[in-house]
Amino acid sequence: MNRRDLLLIAAAGLAACGKSARKIRLALNWKPEPEFGGFYAALYQKSGLDVEILPGGAGTPTIQMVGAGSAEFGIVGADELVVARSRGNDVVAVFAVFQNNPLGIMVHASRKLTSIGDIFRHPGTVGMQRGLSYARLLEKMYGFDKVKIVPSPNGDVSAFLHDKNFAQQCFITSEPLIAKRQGADVQVFPISDIGFNPYTDVMATSGNLLRTKPEMVKSMVAAVREGLRIYLDDPKPTNLRMQQLNPTMPLDLFTETAEVQRPLIETDETRRNGLGVMTKERWETLIVRLKDLGDIENAPAAGECFRSV
Amino acid sequence: MRALRAAMPALIPFLVITGALELAVRGGLVRAYLVPAPSSVFRAMVESRGELMRAMLTTSASALLGFLLSAVAGIGIAVFLSSSRAIQRAFYPYAVFFQTVPLIAIAPLLVIWFGYGTRTVVASAFVVSVFPVIANTLNGILSTDPALRDLFRLYGASTLVTLFKLRFPAALPQILTGLRVASGLAVIGAIVGEFIGGQGLGSVVDIARTQQRVDKVFAAVLLASVLGLALFGMINLISYVTLRRWHASEQG
Repeated sequence: MNRRDLLLIAAAGLAACGKSARKIRLALNWKPEPEFGGFYAALYQKSGLDVEILPGGAGTPTIQMVGAGSAEFGIVGADELVVARSRGNDVVAVFAVFQNNPLGIMVHASRKLTSIGDIFRHPGTVGMQRGLSYARLLEKMYGFDKVKIVPSPNGDVSAFLHDKNFAQQCFITSEPLIAKRQGADVQVFPISDIGFNPYTDVMATSGNLLRTKPEMVKSMVAAVREGLRIYLDDPKPTNLRMQQLNPTMPLDLFTETAEVQRPLIETDETRRNGLGVMTKERWETLIVRLKDLGDIENAPAAGECFRSV
Repeated sequence: MRALRAAMPALIPFLVITGALELAVRGGLVRAYLVPAPSSVFRAMVESRGELMRAMLTTSASALLGFLLSAVAGIGIAVFLSSSRAIQRAFYPYAVFFQTVPLIAIAPLLVIWFGYGTRTVVASAFVVSVFPVIANTLNGILSTDPALRDLFRLYGASTLVTLFKLRFPAALPQILTGLRVASGLAVIGAIVGEFIGGQGLGSVVDIARTQQRVDKVFAAVLLASVLGLALFGMINLISYVTLRRWHASEQG
């Protein structure tokens, strides 16, 4: 083999790299679970899209990844996106899986608490992410002097099962189902009860990509919307595939979760205007909220936070 | 003036790197939400000084306590292991266990065993920092000069006397190496413990990260490394005081 052959091989290798670099990366902020069913059910290839889904975990910085271009799309929270924009990260929401915030706090039913505020009026321990806006809203509304706030166990329910006075931040579609299976008598209070209801599991992309490849973004959103429809109509085949990627979660839990999350995804609004739809009013409400809480200094315009494509 | 000259070799890379980073961020080469400008880290440090100082004190106390536990238990375990080959074979594998514990995996259990707060943090600092103390101390005790051991035996010294007058002092350089490694690990262990157990710099990092305050994350991380440096310096001082009269590493 002479030097020219080597060069040719190297060039071919580079070309191959260039090709695979054109893959569209979608960064998830959690493991493959039913909340992402629509993304796994989507028929990207039919739309000529070569999509690679990157599963994540607690603290995967999807919003920075999208801003930095290490993923073309990322799953973020609407509140997170507003904060990011106010700090100069040009990310834009294009699709919202959850119309209603699945975030909640679960408690033991034996405590006979009647509202979210009740949790903070009685001694106990609450596992929550203090950095999140809803936590500061709760602190403002009820104060945290009666309870002990500890870090969120991120999906693990062992501390909850162990201690009757332990309450924890959860997705109402996830941890409560797991705790129930372990024999706990669970009661859940959704965060939307206190009027904090940002879109959740929002697919975001960068402003740059929206400008340079609007057609690609458009077909991606269309594919995801169709994927979510497919998943809602028949979650079973997609659940089977996701369960292979996330074998620690039993298949019947996939089935159960897919049912529980349905009303948070499909609402009157989506029946009128399509799955994943977002409105300017709701973004405005959120921005005002975050501004009041002091989470952002320069409020971004609602219209630039999301794009209907 | 002499102190300044002594610090110069370490100061120059620091100034060059922070200067370059500042320019890179200001010039738009690096996005501020990925790597913050040193000036904004400094600003975050000043802005949140009360919170950061309290957090640093908490973390210091836990890291120091975990480290002391590691030192005492680590040396004790090593002395025990050194007493016979059979004991070593029976228990050394279990000492290695400490080195391989994936802390994050047992995190939820730690908080159930020790509760949220300081005890979990100290336990975490201990678990990750004890092994280097055991391994280095054991190695030190086992490599006593055979000629000196024979001398002690010749004079009829008991096992205990040999241990305290000969093997232990001779092992000091290795023990101190183990402690140096452990000091940095104890800080890391404490901060990881604080991610799960709450409080201190770990909690500040966790919250700032969620709020996308990269400047504050870096401010807290910087303070954590200052803490690591302080512990390291403490060991170096002990090393200087105890070794300067007889060991090559602290002479010249």
